[in-house]
Amino acid sequence: MYGWTGNILRINLTTGAVKKETYTEEFAQKWVGGRGFAIKILYDELAPGIDPLGPDNKFVVAVGPIAGIPAPNTGKTVVAAKSPLTGGYADGNLGTRITEHLRRCGYDVLIVEGRAAAPSYIVLEDDKVSILPAGEVWGQGTYVTHDWLYQKYGRAAGVLSIGQAGETMSAYAVVRSLEGRAGGRPGMGAVMGSKNLKAIVAKGTKPIPQADPQAMKALGAGDLKKVGDMDKKSGWSRQSTNGVLAWCNEVAALPVRNMRRSHHPDAWKVDGERLNNARVATYGCPNCTMRCGITIHDREGRESELDYENIGMLGPNLEIFDLDQVGSLNYMCDDFGFDTISAGGTLAFYADAIDRGHTTGDFKFGDAERAKELLRLAARREGVGDLIAQGSLRMARLYGHGSESYSMQAKGLEVAAYNCKFCPGMALAFGTAPIGGTHKEAWVITYELNQTRRESYGPEKAAKVIELQRIRGGLFEFLTACRFPWVELGWGLENYPIYFNKITGLDWTLDDFWRTSDRIYALIKLFWLREMPDITRRFDDPPGAWFDPANADTEGPIAGKILERDKYDSLLQHFYDMRQWDRRGIPTRTLIGTLGLEAEAAGAEKYGRLE
Amino acid sequence: MTVRVKLIGPLMYETGFSEKDVEVPAATTVEALLDLVSVPRQRPKIVTRNGRAVAPEEPLADGDKIAVSPIYSGG
Repeated sequence: MYGWTGNILRINLTTGAVKKETYTEEFAQKWVGGRGFAIKILYDELAPGIDPLGPDNKFVVAVGPIAGIPAPNTGKTVVAAKSPLTGGYADGNLGTRITEHLRRCGYDVLIVEGRAAAPSYIVLEDDKVSILPAGEVWGQGTYVTHDWLYQKYGRAAGVLSIGQAGETMSAYAVVRSLEGRAGGRPGMGAVMGSKNLKAIVAKGTKPIPQADPQAMKALGAGDLKKVGDMDKKSGWSRQSTNGVLAWCNEVAALPVRNMRRSHHPDAWKVDGERLNNARVATYGCPNCTMRCGITIHDREGRESELDYENIGMLGPNLEIFDLDQVGSLNYMCDDFGFDTISAGGTLAFYADAIDRGHTTGDFKFGDAERAKELLRLAARREGVGDLIAQGSLRMARLYGHGSESYSMQAKGLEVAAYNCKFCPGMALAFGTAPIGGTHKEAWVITYELNQTRRESYGPEKAAKVIELQRIRGGLFEFLTACRFPWVELGWGLENYPIYFNKITGLDWTLDDFWRTSDRIYALIKLFWLREMPDITRRFDDPPGAWFDPANADTEGPIAGKILERDKYDSLLQHFYDMRQWDRRGIPTRTLIGTLGLEAEAAGAEKYGRLE
Repeated sequence: MTVRVKLIGPLMYETGFSEKDVEVPAATTVEALLDLVSVPRQRPKIVTRNGRAVAPEEPLADGDKIAVSPIYSGG
């Protein structure tokens, strides 16, 4: 077997047991890697109903067969577990040197089980595995933690760590790596924290098994250069992801004031042009030639690496238009290890709830200094911070008064920085994203606004959402590569089966990838069914406020417009029909047979009904 | 008549401005305006008029805001 190491490392922190396991070629070809490995392992090994923050949950680190091998842009790793935020399957990817080093230690998957008696960190050095005390950095942020580990293991080592938010088990604590990399929005950092696991370090020297390493080396290096040249020609990384902020403001899709508004006259103050002008450094992931991490000095003079989602959610969505203050909030999230999207969404919900008299408090939109204090309180779980650390949906359920409708989340995960009060296709993308309100699965909004009628709820939008889910939530998540060369520069998707085949020695086409992708999406839905046997199609809804006529813009390009529930439901049905899912959004028996998921489905039927 | 042109993302570095008012004859089309401000026709782009998608042949009105963006595909 080429391309895959064939090995899983399993570490039990309760007992200290370390076990090297093998997996079969059949497993490799059925689930490929990354998200595919993660959902299959968690589906098989987690009993439904377990406490996400208890020792029975498992923290999975998984990569794909092209990961870590120089080619565009193969530095990504998936982290996954049952989510303390949503209660379902969750994962996220991040650029990290762990990707290459995990594989050079001889593994494609690391499974961490149990709970250490005291704060600990794991070190992999080729075949050697150590579980060491982390008490010295417990209570420290991710920057201090990374420096502490770099001093011991060198800056070339792969490092994943959590900050205080992970230690105190905030429901949206992330896993962090390198300068500004973060992954696992629905509380993957909290799962590490629940295990008393502060960090994971890997240093490997073994070769990664490849069918044709010489050909791949030449191809990968040449293609990395081509992508870099394409980026220079297009100028994309001049503003990187934040170029889109000005466009969102023009077309009324910017999150402003907990998404009450969709554009703002001061948005230009935090747009891509201003970000590029303020740039003091640029960072990127391993194996990347289109580095997107634009770094500025924040209000306190620290280096803060920003992208569009950070800025949209911590800036306009809180009505904060001082870029350096947005930088400060972003730096604090990165250091504490909070997800910036959920932090921005949750703080905005809190300000909105105070505005509406649904709770009491002293936080107002636009108050950056108070927002900083609330993040500190949330990281320590003190006062109102204890609630803020749990996300907007739990806050809404406590506050009542119908506030759940303006907790801007799907499946409990705060939606990213696209205000879809009048973008039906993008609202569908958020509603049907398998881990909750992430933009990463199907970023359909430019297609929707440029190539379709915005007000359409037609099947073309459902088809596009599925197409993008197969590519973005499928291919790039199981190969564990970054989607940006394809999505932003037009680097051809046909390159990925070429890499895959050179590395594995197989003869796959994109159609094989799409089938794998559909299998993964189906199994994630079965995971949810086991957790929620009474699941309905309402589980695939976007936030309620996007259907509320009282929340329509009063001026601008979409004045008076809002999503219509009946029409959204018909769009959702198009999506289900195309996916061969039933009216509840659960894969049908026919599809289960096509995808070879009979054994998994039999397990699910002990808990929920299949049609 | 006067229309406002806003260029988004890297387009501003190629053309040398990010936002400005432009004087054009009545009934000037979107395409003619973009030629006037030197946005290359062959460059893939999204053009909006007052926040809504617009066709190249559509005539402009006084006070319009035309925004031109690269085709962003995701953050």
